[in-house]
Amino acid sequence: MIRLEVHNICKNFGGRQVLNGVSFNVEGPERIGLIGPNGAGKTTLTNILDGVIKPTTGRVHLNGKRIDPLPPFEVAQAGFGRTFQVSRAFRRMTVLENLYVPALAMTPTAHRRDLRKRAMEVLEFLTMEHLRNEYARALSGGQLKLLELGRLLMLDPAIMVLDEPFAGVHPKLMDIILQYIYKVNDDGKAIIIISHDMDTIFSLSKRLLVLNYGDLIADGDPEVVRRDPTVIEAYLGRDDEAECPDGLDG
Amino acid sequence: MRKHIPAIAGTLAVLFLFAFPFAYRGADYDYLMHLWITALFYAILASSWSLLAGYAGQFSFGHMAFMALGAYATGLFSNYVYLASAPTNICSEFKLGGIYLVFLDPLGVTTAKQTCLDIAKSTWSREVILTQPSIFWGILLGIVLGGVFGFLIGRLVLRLRAAYLALFTIGFSEILRATISAEIPFTRGQAGLEVPPLFRDGITVFGSTFSATDKVPPYFVMLFLFLLCMAIMVWLERSRFGLFMRSLREDEEAAAALGVNTVRYKIMVFVITSTMAAAAGAVQAHYIGIISPNILILLQMSLVIAMAVIGGLESVVGAAVGAVIISFTLEFLRTSFVIGSVTIDMSIWRLVIFGLLLMLTLRFWRNGLIHPILLWFSRAGVKQQTMAKRTAAVADTASGDTEEPA
Repeated sequence: MIRLEVHNICKNFGGRQVLNGVSFNVEGPERIGLIGPNGAGKTTLTNILDGVIKPTTGRVHLNGKRIDPLPPFEVAQAGFGRTFQVSRAFRRMTVLENLYVPALAMTPTAHRRDLRKRAMEVLEFLTMEHLRNEYARALSGGQLKLLELGRLLMLDPAIMVLDEPFAGVHPKLMDIILQYIYKVNDDGKAIIIISHDMDTIFSLSKRLLVLNYGDLIADGDPEVVRRDPTVIEAYLGRDDEAECPDGLDG
Repeated sequence: MRKHIPAIAGTLAVLFLFAFPFAYRGADYDYLMHLWITALFYAILASSWSLLAGYAGQFSFGHMAFMALGAYATGLFSNYVYLASAPTNICSEFKLGGIYLVFLDPLGVTTAKQTCLDIAKSTWSREVILTQPSIFWGILLGIVLGGVFGFLIGRLVLRLRAAYLALFTIGFSEILRATISAEIPFTRGQAGLEVPPLFRDGITVFGSTFSATDKVPPYFVMLFLFLLCMAIMVWLERSRFGLFMRSLREDEEAAAALGVNTVRYKIMVFVITSTMAAAAGAVQAHYIGIISPNILILLQMSLVIAMAVIGGLESVVGAAVGAVIISFTLEFLRTSFVIGSVTIDMSIWRLVIFGLLLMLTLRFWRNGLIHPILLWFSRAGVKQQTMAKRTAAVADTASGDTEEPA
């Protein structure tokens, strides 16, 4: 059973409060959307969950184990995986080598033949089998996104955060990514998807978290969140803000 | 077949290196043997540096410092450490079982100085046995010291990248050079520390006797060290270690997010490569016979970097081949020649040619000159394979699209 507990996370960068007491739980194979305007703290929150950044205060537990003080590789080994907003594939390594890295990090004694078989299954699912021996630098932006998702499959985490998986992706590849999300979720993994693509995120998520300037302003059913005045205000602004001040029209 | 050519060429090259001392009979035999020993020495340094910088992305300028650590450790050991069956009572000494480990006082720059051991000898009876420990222990000490310092530097530079790492390691190298230069009583500073030959009393192998100054024994010691280092590095390159090293070079944060213990592998690569550099330095010191702080000037480090860059930074084999080619080329380009009334002094121009080659390599062949050739062989058929698979996939999709519904 997957259980992620994020408790009262605060993060300051210098004098700037980026996260302000963010708390939520993930229980079981949930499919969660995480949205918020630019600068809301979504990536910072992911970096804290991942162990790259340490929170100023607060705790994160994954399946009962406290993970926030751990280095990123231990967080990954504890069962947390992530992709990055801008693809961070190992560009001077082949597609297969990219997939071997997480698999060997998780199971150092894995047999090369088994590893290859698993990697080929992943590539087949991602329709990238023909690219297996190509260097990652030869892939398109969308293919790089798929490769990152493939690496996560090889890491096999209990919970994964996908940071902007649909950004700049061709509709055909987007279908593959959607299939990926449904499949991984059906396989019993929890997924948190960060995206600015509102239509997709509302249709995809069973639960929605909304961050606004470091505050978690909504957490619940996407349809309820959609009608939440605080969320509407955060995204569209208040009515009085939208008006032009008098006299500007000349 | 094309994929196997590098392995075949490598085997032939190793056979050639084994046969050369016995097959070659030219008048310049000693000179060529010297060139080969030097080339193999640089090949160890360049290839181990390529593992550190090209593979793991740790652009260190401290590699020659580790080499010097190995050289000076064995140099000082063979100058200062003796074994005696009786105490000297005036030298620093430790009792180890039935023998005494004796440390001489600082030598200073004059060889005419009477050491504490000379004084002790005059008081000893004839039964007292005085020996020097085997050179092997000095070399081993150098290797261990190189590894220990590699570990320390590796830990210290964990958070440093790019220019900061380069500057830090230059600092380390310069501190070591200044220390060796300053500690004249121990190291003899710029006067140089004399180091005994690898086989002080010569050696007899398979019935052939070689004197202490013969080139064949040091040649084979350096060759074995080179082959051992290459075997370790190629094995590492193809193992999990190599894969993690490259992921670390590509993106440390992403590698860590995928479960790679980046700290451990960063330290490991420093320890492994500095150990190899120290081993090469220790053997070379015994071969050359004298070492001075000039062995770790920045120009020497630049030479090793240039060899690795020209050979191929991302390939230990490429870097080793590059080092051998550059070593020989630099030597052969020494021969000056005359055009009309002008004498071209190649002792200077050769460095200009070398610099130009380095610049051209960096500008046009960033993977070096040897590495792309190796890749051309090892990645034979990859492009065609990709194209064929893609064509087949497209054909499959097309036939699926045109199928009539039942």
